Amino acid sequence: MAARTPEHTVEGAAGGDEHVVVFRLAAEHYALDIQAVQEIVRIQAITTIPGADHYVEGITNLRGRVVPVVDLRRRCGLPVSEVTAETRIVVVSSSNGMVGLIVDAVSEVLRIRGEQIEPPSTIVRVPENSYLRGIAKLDDRLISLMDLSGILPSDDSLALGADEAARAA
Amino acid sequence: MSKGQRLSFDLDDEDLKLFNEEAEEQLELLDTALVHLEGDPDPDLVQQIFRAAHTLKGSSATIGHRRMAGLTHAMETVLDAVRQGKLEPAPAVVDPLLRALDALRLLAQEVVLKRHSGVETGDLEAELHAALETEAGPFRHEPTPVSWALSGAAAAEAFAQIERGQPVYLVHVRIAEECQLPGIRCYQVLQELDACGVVAWTEPERSLIEAGAGEFSTRALLASDVGEEQVQSALAAVSDVGLAEVRALTAEQLTGVAGGEATPLFEAAPARAQLTVVGRETPEAAAAPRKTTQSVRIDVERLDGLMNLVGELVIDRTRLQQIREQLAGVLRQTSHAELMENLEETTAHLARITDELQEEIMRSRMLPVRSVLTRLPRLVRDVAAKCGKQVELVMAGEETELDRSVIEEISDPLVHILRNAVDHGIEPPDERRAAGKPETGMVSVTAWNQEASIYLAIRDDGAGIDTEALRRKAVERGLVAAETAEAATEEAILQYIFLPGLSTAKALSDVSGRGVGMDIVRTNVERLNGHVTVRSARGLGSEFVIQLPLTLATTKALMVMAGGTVYAIPLVSVTEALAESDADLHQVGGKHTLRLRDRLLPVADLARALGERRLAPVEGPRFVVAARHGDRQQAFLVDRLLGEQDVVVKSLGDVIGARRGLTGATILGDGTLGLIVDTASLLSEQAQLAATA
Repeated sequence: MAARTPEHTVEGAAGGDEHVVVFRLAAEHYALDIQAVQEIVRIQAITTIPGADHYVEGITNLRGRVVPVVDLRRRCGLPVSEVTAETRIVVVSSSNGMVGLIVDAVSEVLRIRGEQIEPPSTIVRVPENSYLRGIAKLDDRLISLMDLSGILPSDDSLALGADEAARAA
Repeated sequence: MSKGQRLSFDLDDEDLKLFNEEAEEQLELLDTALVHLEGDPDPDLVQQIFRAAHTLKGSSATIGHRRMAGLTHAMETVLDAVRQGKLEPAPAVVDPLLRALDALRLLAQEVVLKRHSGVETGDLEAELHAALETEAGPFRHEPTPVSWALSGAAAAEAFAQIERGQPVYLVHVRIAEECQLPGIRCYQVLQELDACGVVAWTEPERSLIEAGAGEFSTRALLASDVGEEQVQSALAAVSDVGLAEVRALTAEQLTGVAGGEATPLFEAAPARAQLTVVGRETPEAAAAPRKTTQSVRIDVERLDGLMNLVGELVIDRTRLQQIREQLAGVLRQTSHAELMENLEETTAHLARITDELQEEIMRSRMLPVRSVLTRLPRLVRDVAAKCGKQVELVMAGEETELDRSVIEEISDPLVHILRNAVDHGIEPPDERRAAGKPETGMVSVTAWNQEASIYLAIRDDGAGIDTEALRRKAVERGLVAAETAEAATEEAILQYIFLPGLSTAKALSDVSGRGVGMDIVRTNVERLNGHVTVRSARGLGSEFVIQLPLTLATTKALMVMAGGTVYAIPLVSVTEALAESDADLHQVGGKHTLRLRDRLLPVADLARALGERRLAPVEGPRFVVAARHGDRQQAFLVDRLLGEQDVVVKSLGDVIGARRGLTGATILGDGTLGLIVDTASLLSEQAQLAATA
């Protein structure tokens, strides 16, 4: 661990430093805990799964492993964009195994000090915000800290269950 | 050892049932008979009791229940003395026997509960031995009765030895209970005895001891010119030897032993004795050769992990070969020809090693089919007894290996067919006699490997399948149209046996049920990407052959393109693949229908059937693939046929979850992923849709 500045001697539960991977979705900056990030790969061939939920892009072959890929723009209700040279798949390990998240660009790895992080707004509480666990206020920008379990719920609601049910109906 | 401690015995569930039934039977017999032993007993009764104790000794020793074997041995010793009239069954003799019986009940329960009951047998054994000594002083130095078989040559040698004035010893060695490696100690004991003279007989058999399968108690007949003490001290040199009895035998005693009264060491359980099982080893012999191959227990998960890693390696190998080919074109023209050659050599070597590695790891997941076959003799015996038939079961190819995932699945289909063969195939003895056949019918189960499949053939020499009855039944029950059945060939009619809800038995029996079965057998086998075929000849018998892939990890599939995605359709379910233009397609009641060999198959777009909604319009000619699962048939429209390929099945992962219509994904030659179609679930879903529509 890197040395901390003296004013950080008091640490709360959410007061510790965070090491995050920062990425861009549309015009906004998001970050994921670096512990969860396995690797970052360029966009590669993705096989669509018929009847899958709209934000499940499909599956891809990551060195012999079948990894599901989620389009984060769709998941966050943002308009779909074209793949660019900067588009990346951030491969994270979740309670459901490895999952790839398509992001517009990966910008940097940052260490964010605990006191820079604020909990998500208690006033603006919309369901879409369920995958945010805090907002880091840096000098020049705001970074939304993503909660992986919010993006990938451990129950079947993401596992195409809803879609399956819709088809059966 | 203490009460409640976990115990494990050398038997599987099937053996446990056998052991239990046998133990219960013998204990019950002892219970009723022992109380009548006092006074002047009927010799038959004594003989019965002795046999019961002997049988219990045999079965408990086989499963490695040492306390139970030790106690029954002590009982047997006392009972033998009674049997030979050397010991009067006074209360002082019967009481310890009854107390031992009470203990035996608890000991037998231990096998089921796998817990130590707290019963220790030392005191009881001592009591029994004391009973032997108090009453019958003169007999106490008689050799411990041993049931053995002395082969002619061994006996002759022992006699010659005695005639030469050299002693023959009966040696009994017990290895200390706490010894961790009784097998090795036994082997050392045998070596010491070999050094002393000629070992004419051992219990357990020499081959078992040499294979390291010796147990805590070893007996031997030693012809030697050294003194008793020398043999004693030689045995004392072996660690963990608890008790070593060395007793010189007289010619007379030896005669008693060898003179035709050769009883088998362990009497075969009556259940098995009625069956002649060819190609099967005796339980004792079966234990020996397997122990000689060195083995390590490996967690199945670890094997699965290795299998996955090798799968990745195989894919990388394919990729590397492709890259090499691409590079070859570029590099050959330059001065790097030599470098290119090196690359080619290395990739070729890597490819070979990878294939071998994959094969080895596949093999490590394989189990001999024996584990399924072992319970068949008992099954055949029971079924034959129930239907009053005489049946001999012959098994072969038990060493044939297949993937453990497959082994778990084939047991039920196999049992079902075998039941049918005995119940419906083999005729009653009088019918067989009338037909000029031996009264005892023959059923065989044979396993073998061929290419990447395992075959299991179940044959019987019974009456064969009555195709006329089959034809009639199928029509009667509305399973087949009358005119179709009339026109059908014998061979086609035989296939009716797989139709749901059909039974050819003249009378329903509680053995094979009401004709449910063969359709389920076929469904189960096909779910494993296997096939089941039937052949039969009237009066001569029937044959069912189950063909299964060696492993479920790879599948042969027809690769197709539909809606921009590559799909793999397991080849076993594909009946036909043809160009749309060649297909006999019709509109029946507003529905697409394919006419294929007098059958009308509903037609659906494959991608759409799987739930694909982002479909681009297709240009150019399309193709029709007809698929079958069980009795369901369906045709699917696809964009292109890509040929056959072996596919490695990979899970779609938790996030995607189980998808109806899809088994998993597979990595294609170019590194992208294709989807494996689950014909079974897709066809049943389609059938449901059609029914509700």
